[in-house]
Amino acid sequence: MTGFTSWRLPAYASLAAAGVVAGLALGRVEPVALAAPFLLALVAAAAGHDPEVSVRLRLDRDRALEGDEVTATIDLFSAADVDRFEVVLPLPPELSVDGGPARAVRLQAGEARTIELTLSCDRWGAFALGPLLFRARDLLGLRSWEGDVGKAQPLRVYPSEETIRSLVAPLDTQVFAGNQVSRARGEGIEFADLREWQPGDRLRRVNWRATALRGALWVNEQHLERNTDVVLFLDTFAEVRVEGRSTNDRAVRAAATLAHGYLQRRDRVGLVGFGGFLSWLVPASGTRQLYAIVDTLLTSSVVHSYALRDVDVLPPRTLPPKALVLAITPLLDSRTATALLDLRARGYDLIVVEVSPLELLVPDAASAAGLAHRLWRLQRDALRWRYEQVGVPVVTWREGVPLAVPLEEVNQFRHLARPA
Amino acid sequence: MPGAALGGIVLVASLLVGGFGLGAALFLAGGTYVAAVVSAGHGVDASAPLVAVLLLLSGELSAWSLDERWRIRPEQPLSWRRGAALAALALGGLGLAALVVALAAVPAGHGLALTAAGAAAAVGAAGTGIWVARR
Repeated sequence: MTGFTSWRLPAYASLAAAGVVAGLALGRVEPVALAAPFLLALVAAAAGHDPEVSVRLRLDRDRALEGDEVTATIDLFSAADVDRFEVVLPLPPELSVDGGPARAVRLQAGEARTIELTLSCDRWGAFALGPLLFRARDLLGLRSWEGDVGKAQPLRVYPSEETIRSLVAPLDTQVFAGNQVSRARGEGIEFADLREWQPGDRLRRVNWRATALRGALWVNEQHLERNTDVVLFLDTFAEVRVEGRSTNDRAVRAAATLAHGYLQRRDRVGLVGFGGFLSWLVPASGTRQLYAIVDTLLTSSVVHSYALRDVDVLPPRTLPPKALVLAITPLLDSRTATALLDLRARGYDLIVVEVSPLELLVPDAASAAGLAHRLWRLQRDALRWRYEQVGVPVVTWREGVPLAVPLEEVNQFRHLARPA
Repeated sequence: MPGAALGGIVLVASLLVGGFGLGAALFLAGGTYVAAVVSAGHGVDASAPLVAVLLLLSGELSAWSLDERWRIRPEQPLSWRRGAALAALALGGLGLAALVVALAAVPAGHGLALTAAGAAAAVGAAGTGIWVARR
C-alpha cells in the first residue's frame, strides 16, 4: 500500500506560508486571514491515518456462456474507520458491468461489507480477473492510500452455439461404432441388400419372403453404423473486425457448434488452428474432447504473421485418412487457400465454410473504395471457383443467417454432385 | 482586476486539462486580492475572511469536480458526508480568519496577556506546521 497526498496539500501549505510571510513583510493582517482557512485544512489532512482493510475477491463460477451473467463478490473488512474506500475490478473489453466496475463505500471500524458486481459476458474468451485495485481516502480527499490485492481469478466464457438440425455427412466412415450409416455392410439397422445364406449367418437375418420366392435361404444385409473423423480447420491468419463484430468471433462460434454436434453423435473431432499461431488437437471423442476443443478455441486469436505455412507442419495424426475436413475461413489469406487445396489434392473430403466479411465492409459505391471493393469481391469469386473446380463445395455464411442454412447447402451440393 | 481575471482563466483552463495549474490559479487570485488591499492603503479590510473562505472553496470544489470524473459509483451518504465536511471546514476557516482580523483590530501594547497569547499563537502555528509536515 502506498500513501499519496493530493496536489492541494503542497498548494495549501504554500499559500498558508506565503500568506503569513506576506502579512509579516507588509504589516497587514489580510494575508494572514487568507492563510487561516488553509492552515485549518492542513490540520484536517494531518488527522488522517493509514487504513487497515482486508479485501477478497470471489466469483460465483469460473465458467459461463456468452450472454450469461457472473457475480463477482468483493468482501471488505476494516479494523479502523475509513471515510471513503474505493475499489475497482479491472475488466477486459469483453466483460462489462452496469455502472462501471468501480465502487466507493464508507467502512467503520470492525465492519464487514460486501460489494456485488454483476458481470455481463459479452464475448467469449479466457480471462483472469484481478487483482483488485483499491484506494482509501480521508473525507476531503487530501490524503489517500492505494494498492492492489488478491490473485487473478480465472473465468472462461464459452462461445454461444448456433442451432443446427443436421450436420454434413462425411463421404467415408471409420472402423469404430458410431451413429453414421456407412456404406459397408454387416449387422446394422438400415437395410442394404440381400444375399444368399452362408454358414454362420444368424436365423433372425433370414428374409423369409425372398427365401420363399427363390427356394433357397436368403438373408438381409444392413449398413453398419460407424463413426467418422471430423477435423475443424480454423483459419486464423486474418480477420475483419468492425465495431465489435468480427469474422473470427463467428468462426469460433461455428467451430464450437460443429464440434458439439459431431461429438454428440459419437464421432471423433479434431481441431487445427491454422494461422500466425499454429495449434492442433488430435481427433478424439467424448465430453473431455469437447472441453479441450472449446478451451483451445477460447485462446484462438488472429496473430499476424508473414511466415509461409503448409499442412506439412501438422503432425500426421491430426489429419487422419478419410477424415472430413471442415474449413471455416473468411477467405482473406492465400496461405490458407494453398493449404486447403493441398489437402484436397491429398484426397481429403474437404468442405469450405466461408465466414463472409462483406457485411462488415460496405464502402461508398461512388468512390474509389467502391471500385476496389468490387475488385476484391471478384478475387473472392475467383478463389471460390478454384475450389469448385477441384470438387470442393464452398458455402457462404453471411451475418444474420443461421449456420444451418450453409450446412444445408452443402448437403444439397453433395446430393446433386458425386465426388470424383 | 486583471490578476483576478487571469486567475479565473487559469482556473477554468486547469479544470479542462485535469487539474494541472489549479494551485497557480489560487495563488493568482489571492495575490491579486493582497495587492489590491495593500494599494488601497487604509484600515483593515473586513471582507478578508470571506475572500479566504471563497479561495478555499474554489480549491476544494475544483478538486471534488475532478474526483467525480473517475466515474466511481459511490454510496449516496458519501457525497453528503463530503459536502458536510467541506461546509464545516469553510465555517471553521471563516471563524478562524475572522478571529485573526478581530485580533488585529486590538491596539498594540494592550497588555502582557495579549502579548503572551500572540506569542503562543505564533508558536502554535509553527508547531502545527511541523506536525503536519511530519504526518
